[in-house]
Amino acid sequence: MDYKAPVEAYTGVVREVTIGKGNKSLRIGGENTLPLHFFDQGSNPNPVKFALEVLDMKPEDWPEHAVEPYRDVISDPVSWARKCQSFGVDAVSLFLMSTDPAVRDGPADKAAELARKVAEAINVPLIVYGSGDEKKDVEVLSRVAEVCDGMNLLVGPVLKENYEAVGKAILDHGHTAIAQSPLDINLLKELNVKLSKIFPPDRIVIDPLSSALGYGMEYSFSLIERVKQIGIMTKDSMTMMPIIANLGGECWKTKQAKENKKQGLLWEGMTALSLLLAGANILVLRHPETLKLIKETIGAR
Amino acid sequence: MVIIGENIHVIAQAVSTAVRERNAKVIQDLAKAQTEAGADYIDLNVGPMKKDTEETMKWLVNTVQGVTDLPLSIDTMNPIAMEAGLKHCKKRPLLNSASGKTNSKEQMLPLAKKYNCDVVISVMTDKGMPPDVDSKIESIMDTVAYANELGIPNEDIWVDPILLPVSTAGEGQRFAVANLEFIKILEDVLPGIKSTVGLSNTSNGVPDELRPLINRTYLVMLGRNGLHSAIADPLDKELMSLARGEMPGIVELIHKTMDGGDINLSALSPKQVEYVKTARVLKAETLYSNAWLEG
Repeated sequence: MDYKAPVEAYTGVVREVTIGKGNKSLRIGGENTLPLHFFDQGSNPNPVKFALEVLDMKPEDWPEHAVEPYRDVISDPVSWARKCQSFGVDAVSLFLMSTDPAVRDGPADKAAELARKVAEAINVPLIVYGSGDEKKDVEVLSRVAEVCDGMNLLVGPVLKENYEAVGKAILDHGHTAIAQSPLDINLLKELNVKLSKIFPPDRIVIDPLSSALGYGMEYSFSLIERVKQIGIMTKDSMTMMPIIANLGGECWKTKQAKENKKQGLLWEGMTALSLLLAGANILVLRHPETLKLIKETIGAR
Repeated sequence: MVIIGENIHVIAQAVSTAVRERNAKVIQDLAKAQTEAGADYIDLNVGPMKKDTEETMKWLVNTVQGVTDLPLSIDTMNPIAMEAGLKHCKKRPLLNSASGKTNSKEQMLPLAKKYNCDVVISVMTDKGMPPDVDSKIESIMDTVAYANELGIPNEDIWVDPILLPVSTAGEGQRFAVANLEFIKILEDVLPGIKSTVGLSNTSNGVPDELRPLINRTYLVMLGRNGLHSAIADPLDKELMSLARGEMPGIVELIHKTMDGGDINLSALSPKQVEYVKTARVLKAETLYSNAWLEG
């Protein structure tokens, strides 16, 4: 008797979100099948994309082997971003660490000006992360949105504590939002429901928080997997957004990554590979050699 | 639907203080309010009760019986407190509860026989909470067989599948669906058996103002699948109306949602829409979030 493998066709479609403007733009999401289900019906028009990190201040706690590829540009975020571009990234992700009240409490104006300079200096789209301080970010991200008016940056984190103010600024100035919630699918959906009342859902990207291998990665994996299943299989409109996995910083914080370079690259690489298998649409990495490693791994499929 | 009034509960600070200080009025007011609201039993949840056990139970049971003729549900894990309570009941009480745990089987079930009362038996075993419907059925069949051997007939046994909060990320909705299924097949595997649930536990973790909606909807859903009784809040008027069949339109709408029928939300009143959306969450058709009514 012939065996015919069952083929699933799903009803949900992840919203296709565009970041950046004109020839600097990038599309993520848009898939209507689960990650790597090549055997099912449906397609993924925008395979996974990669960004590299740029910090707005010279990093103080990076191990030597993480600083090394950026040594000549590490004090200049604009040159640093250009260097990232030379490594073949799809986007650059600028972290406004210095604005954190617990770090330097740097002014919003200066951070916003830097974001604009970086965005103008590169020919790929820019992702901008605030410090994550729910109060300070209202000021910082609103200013970034305003100064970079119309550039359609991907801006976050938008949190349940500040989504109204930050969401409004992002919307008013034509950007896209990163909605971030703490590793919990119910909270993730709640934020999307609330944000969607004041913000178009096709301009929302989900950041579920990405933990590093050995430090809770399986939670991030299960959550990303579940968001995709709920969205694509049960067509839950409030989980049908693409996912950003911001994992570089988490991986390079680990003792294992700091110990030596090879271990660091593998730590970041294994985390990245796992989360993209779970269904992440865009990954933020730190080390250019991890990027190369992951691209080779995907290419060898 | 038999409603066991849950409001005399030591987790409530006022109740715990009243019991400690022998303040009869606080307890009697709660008993009277629940009786007037139409409860069928009054639950006395006294917790572990480690001090002055016998005397406290005697006082509590007599205090409540002073103002109500309703039968009591003696709710404790402590067999000494249990016996002290059962001993003073004027009406045939409910022993709440025993389980499949060895200690509970050996200490609680003989009390149910001795005092010839109805008994709640939960699906818990020495291994903890059975993870799925099949293992729940398996564990309850074992414990019920044990009770039958002691001479307790199925008709006197109220099975508790143990409800868990639907808001627990990842698992809560799976549990809600499993317990609906469990109640549905229970009568087939154990003919004549009754059932009960700690209804309010389902809405633990849900924003306070939305908890009643979860409780009411789930009660109707469980009721349709054959649930015999629930430990619940009889002071929730709408819950009581639903349990008494006074809101057939809402009940029918919830049933239709359970069946997956096409429902045109725009043709419904806001209240009807809330019930449909809540039933969809409880059958895990849509993902739970605190904003489930808004999506």
